Amino acid sequence: MTDVTTERPAVPVPRWSRGAGRLPYLLMLPCLVVIAVLLLWPLVQIGVMSLYDLDSVRQVRGDREWPWAGLANYRDILTDPFFHTVLRNTVLFAAANVVLTMVLGTLVGLLLHRLGRRMAAFVGACVLLAWATPALTGTITWKWIFDDTNGLVTWLFNALPDGLSRSVFGRADWTGYGWFNAPLSFFAILTLVVVWHSFPFVAVSVLAGLKSLPPELLEAARVDGAGPWRVFRSVTFPLLRPVFGILVVLSTIWDFKVFTQQFVLAGGTQDRPTFMLSIYSYATAFSPPPKYGLGAAIAVVLTVILLVVTGVYVRALLRQEEL
Amino acid sequence: MRPEADERGRGCVVKTRRRPLQVVTVALAAAMLLSACDSADDGGGDGGDPTKLTVWMMGEGGEAQNAFLDEVEQQFRTKHPNTDVVVQYVPWLEAPKKFQAALAGGEGPDVTELGNTETQGWAEQEALADLTDRLAGWAPGQDILPDLVKNAQLDGKQYGIPWYAGVRAIFYRTDWFAEAGVQPPKNWDELVQVAKAVQAKKPGTYGIALPGNSELPFYSFLWGAGGEIATENGGTWKSGYTSPEARKAVTFWTDLVTVHKVAPPAAAGWNEVDARTQFATGKAAMAFAGSWQQAAMLKADPELSKVWGTFPIPGPDGGPAPAFAGGSDIAIWEDSKAKDVAWDYVTVLLEKQNNKKWADSLSFFPVYKDLVGSGYNDDKIMAAFAASMRSTKLTPMTPKWVEVSRNKTVTQVMNSSIMKGQKTVDQATADAAAEIESILNAK
Repeated sequence: MTDVTTERPAVPVPRWSRGAGRLPYLLMLPCLVVIAVLLLWPLVQIGVMSLYDLDSVRQVRGDREWPWAGLANYRDILTDPFFHTVLRNTVLFAAANVVLTMVLGTLVGLLLHRLGRRMAAFVGACVLLAWATPALTGTITWKWIFDDTNGLVTWLFNALPDGLSRSVFGRADWTGYGWFNAPLSFFAILTLVVVWHSFPFVAVSVLAGLKSLPPELLEAARVDGAGPWRVFRSVTFPLLRPVFGILVVLSTIWDFKVFTQQFVLAGGTQDRPTFMLSIYSYATAFSPPPKYGLGAAIAVVLTVILLVVTGVYVRALLRQEEL
Repeated sequence: MRPEADERGRGCVVKTRRRPLQVVTVALAAAMLLSACDSADDGGGDGGDPTKLTVWMMGEGGEAQNAFLDEVEQQFRTKHPNTDVVVQYVPWLEAPKKFQAALAGGEGPDVTELGNTETQGWAEQEALADLTDRLAGWAPGQDILPDLVKNAQLDGKQYGIPWYAGVRAIFYRTDWFAEAGVQPPKNWDELVQVAKAVQAKKPGTYGIALPGNSELPFYSFLWGAGGEIATENGGTWKSGYTSPEARKAVTFWTDLVTVHKVAPPAAAGWNEVDARTQFATGKAAMAFAGSWQQAAMLKADPELSKVWGTFPIPGPDGGPAPAFAGGSDIAIWEDSKAKDVAWDYVTVLLEKQNNKKWADSLSFFPVYKDLVGSGYNDDKIMAAFAASMRSTKLTPMTPKWVEVSRNKTVTQVMNSSIMKGQKTVDQATADAAAEIESILNAK
């Protein structure tokens, strides 16, 4: 559907008759309807729910009245000190993950571009496997790797020479060590899992961008005596700026609303010190006793934050295009 | 301009990749709703017998359970020959979602089993029918253990009938105990000594698999020391967590990890299943478990039954500590159009001999005083549980309790924050008491 619209400028411009003018919109209609039903309707619904005091399934079903709450749900959230912890967790986590994903993805993309055919195919396949692994299965596997008793990481740390391990970490016996106990180590593992899941997309996109660059440009730069860093900074990066822009936007969106990985690693919704917005919203809305209105309000706050962040990005991106 | 063309192409890929996913999700949701819809509603509302009675049972079922339920259906049909009983199994973990969907869609079962810690919550959501009068008019109901009956009440009304019950005790490795030359402990000091002795004898294992992130085993220690979670006085709840008794229990429980080191730091994050698995896979000498969890542990190691034994969770100075009686209730769905017939089914299901047969098949206890009182003393495993069954206690009787227990997980957080070294006992208990009081006393 999108192809039709994007490729239209390529065909010789037709004389605009009335029928032809309507046709593209007509063709887009089914798509728009699907978007409206699947995306807009739930969004509106969430927005409406966030303005009511909803704490019973019977209300959602329509058997009971919806007491109007106005902005009370938002006030409750924004004045709750716990919300500030959650917000801080979310922002710091997203920032760290976007940076790490972009850096690692770009490096792997550059590597893939430089490798020979076979090696590139091999590395590319490995990288894509990480991407192809469903979030749930991948995270469960990571949880096993960090298992406190039988996990690979526990085993590796136990395999370190006792003296070394004691002088660096202060302990030699790692069996039963709580990898997920401290919020910081929990977030470190979560970051590992999320970056592992998302850098392949960045790598492949950067690779595609690199393939489209005229090789003469890079060669000319190199002949002029530019080192690899200079080439990247002065030639590759400016040419691929739109690609990076889109990738940053997408990564930001994804990392802001990480849910599956956190839910699995934390073993549900019990580890409140490590809450981020999406799991906070879920736990509020669905953990007994349900508070659908409050949960919806948190979801709206998350959406607004995302809209603002991506809006700023896209604006910056468009402005650069204009120049 | 090739990069740009390239860019546009990718944007397109991303979009089309995401949209089908959403279609699938909605299709799945629709399918779930549809399948929830066909489960009932053929009950004739005309006063006659419905053609179908839908019964939801928790778990996966099994041959013994199926045979039993077939028998119950036969007995039930002598009174309602035209009613077909349709039993559907709902996995425990799926149950909350299934209930919520059934409630939201307006279609559900006629009779359902549910965990007895959930009954108040679903009653609060108006999912369950009020059974107060029916229970009062049913003679065998008067013999059901009173704590269990009370636990299925909300605001003085009865929303569930206890069906089977069980308590937690400590499973231990008889062979390891023999090697270390120790006997099952009778009080708290002995528990620590025994755990240390076995752990020293079996390097690389834990003395006790402590579920630091769950609440029910801990309550036995709290109650054993004479502490209370929260008590009501004139409509105001006061938490007992700051009392010296409660602090003694919290100190003992968390010291097992931080001071005696008979459980590892990771135990701060273990729930009961995690902890039990350590025991079942030969990594721990003792673990807290209910009698009904034997089958699950034997799945991990079928040989375990030769080398395990049980003893009641001890009080600080000896004797079994009070335990929380977990188990299941049977309830009638508020939206059911055949409540009278459903009640007839419930009474057949809960008939005393049926109740005993069913409980035995699950390694639970029946709910009748006269049936629990005897017959378990010679059973190597069940004797310890039967001893604890005689002194059970309940968590605070208020619909707000579920928020403390399941949403904010106050007790779990209190204990694990101490084990993780984030708070002292005094801080953690004071914080937990304040949080419990603020939740239970909210208007």
